[in-house]
Amino acid sequence: MRGYVLRRLFQSVLVVWAVTSIMFLMFRVMPTDPTAMLMDRGMTEAARDKLLEDWGLTGSLWDQYVAYIGNLMRGDFGNSFFHRKPVWEVLGPLIVNTLWVAVPGLLLGAVLGSGLGVLVGWAPRGGKTERIGIFLATIIRGVPGFVIGIALLAVFSSALGWFPAFGMGSVDADQGASRYLTLDFLHHLALPLIAVAIYFLPENLLLMRSGVVENRTEDYVELVRAKGVSQSRVAWHTARNSLLPLITWLFPALAETIAGIVVVEIVFSWPGVGRELVLAVTRQDYPLTQSAFFLLAVMIVLANLAADLIYGKLDPRVVYK
Amino acid sequence: MGALAKLNERLRAKPAAHMLVERLSIAYQTPRGPFRAVDDVSFEVAAGATLGLVGESGCGKSTVVKSLMGLLPEGTSVSGRALLNGTDILGLSERALSDVRWTKIALITQSAMNSLDPVYCIGDQITESILAHERVSKAVAWARAEQMFEIVGLPGSRLTEFPHQFSGGMRQRAVIAMALSLNAGLLLADEPTTALDPIMQDQIMSRIRSIHADMRRSMILVTHDIAVVAETCETIAVMYAGEVVEAGPTAQVLQNPRHPYTMGLQNAFPKLPVRGQSRMPLISIPGTVPNLLHPPVGCRFAGRCPFATDLCRSEAPAKLSNSISQSAACHYQDRASEFRAIAQKASTWRHKDG
Repeated sequence: MRGYVLRRLFQSVLVVWAVTSIMFLMFRVMPTDPTAMLMDRGMTEAARDKLLEDWGLTGSLWDQYVAYIGNLMRGDFGNSFFHRKPVWEVLGPLIVNTLWVAVPGLLLGAVLGSGLGVLVGWAPRGGKTERIGIFLATIIRGVPGFVIGIALLAVFSSALGWFPAFGMGSVDADQGASRYLTLDFLHHLALPLIAVAIYFLPENLLLMRSGVVENRTEDYVELVRAKGVSQSRVAWHTARNSLLPLITWLFPALAETIAGIVVVEIVFSWPGVGRELVLAVTRQDYPLTQSAFFLLAVMIVLANLAADLIYGKLDPRVVYK
Repeated sequence: MGALAKLNERLRAKPAAHMLVERLSIAYQTPRGPFRAVDDVSFEVAAGATLGLVGESGCGKSTVVKSLMGLLPEGTSVSGRALLNGTDILGLSERALSDVRWTKIALITQSAMNSLDPVYCIGDQITESILAHERVSKAVAWARAEQMFEIVGLPGSRLTEFPHQFSGGMRQRAVIAMALSLNAGLLLADEPTTALDPIMQDQIMSRIRSIHADMRRSMILVTHDIAVVAETCETIAVMYAGEVVEAGPTAQVLQNPRHPYTMGLQNAFPKLPVRGQSRMPLISIPGTVPNLLHPPVGCRFAGRCPFATDLCRSEAPAKLSNSISQSAACHYQDRASEFRAIAQKASTWRHKDG
């Protein structure tokens, strides 16, 4: 087990290194100039050269690469070209903002989705519950994230006026860490969180349902029923067994969905990593984009590892070698 | 007295059950109409006795067992009565069934390969059945499970293991231990040895026999193996195409079968060669079981019976009303001894037109 984890961690490092190198190269071959944004403001040639040197963009590609990897290994992600301060000072608070939307939203989507999946899975085959459940889940799954967001805004913000349309707090709101504990913040959080949950829910529902449908006719379910346990207990047995394929999908999907939350952040003008990442790409802010993608790569790799380890906990038949 | 001793005492006090099945008919709903899997079946299991339900696969014997536990798919139509100690248990609600399941009737399932949940350890699955019905602590239930494991010859320490760590024979024994956990008055054993090799079959069956001798539970043993019934059951009911065609005390029925199907069934099982005599050939019954979506008008066996007449093809013989004394659903019972002599010849079963 320990050997397995160590080996997987080593592989993970390799994957992250490969992703990082490809990202590095991709930004360098893009036919644009990161100083262009600043040149507009009437900067002299000399000032521009000085800037390029400061940013470490003057040496050969190889020298730049070696310097970049070396800095990464020391935990130095560089300074944002645009914000003119260390990348982590920029990203840190944004990560916190994103997590506020992502973690409860995804959790809500997964729990509600798999719960409904069990209900639909145990509904009579071909009946109303099954047909409506599958229909709605398939429709919602096909709807792009921004449409869900805009629909929520149109109904609950514009038409009903129940929730604010954008941002993380009112203009006069407190800007310190205590802002996260105010009702004003929760009020702003509600819609984006629900959007993430709705976005994530259908796939959970469909996967759980197909697992339960597959399991409910298994011999072991008949024996569990024969034992005279409650119906919810019988349903739990099928859910527990259906969790295995769900987990395999869930964790990698979780990481990808966090990357996809960028859409929700933009629709609701939520100051998170995703939104900043889009801006940083258009600004040619190498250190910021590379760091954000580095972060995503690490998250996806770790999510895969977590899925494999949790799978082993859930399924006694799995052996780690 | 400890909690475990109290539990054991309480469970030991349960009497063996009396089961009387009267005119049980079951039809599965299919897109092409009702499939009459069981038609007008009656039998009786005296308290502490064992009934063998025999027949080839698809004859409806497992369906009978499932109906007694309320395990038939929703929408299946069931008629008749199944009186467990005088109370009809057919058509009970799920809630009412939970008082019958495992406390009064326990099930030893077919193919123990898949009848255990792969993600729970065996001990959890046994204690689940105890905790669902008895107000005892998990520890007491576990201790009871250990005792049940001992009865079936498995070490209690292996309760923590998972189904995939057990061999087929061990899994079957674990399922038996589970069925014994609440000392239900009636045990339903649905092909308990079908998936096992002959040596393991024999071990499991002698285990079941010794448990039966010790605990004196009533039992319905479903099998296609006539030899197992001969060794284990006082009473036999032979099923064919959803009907009981012959029933009665096992020894009588097997020595002097009155229904041609029973005669044919006996021929289909190997007998050990006797020195000085010619080897008995295995004779199989030609033809196939009738389609139960549209059962034939007359005797259901007529299409395969070497003795069938026009009467057999046009009129169904009277159904059996009990399994206590030997009786057969055949128009020509009075000629049974004559048939028996002819039925032993292989040529009898080959000369069939259609």
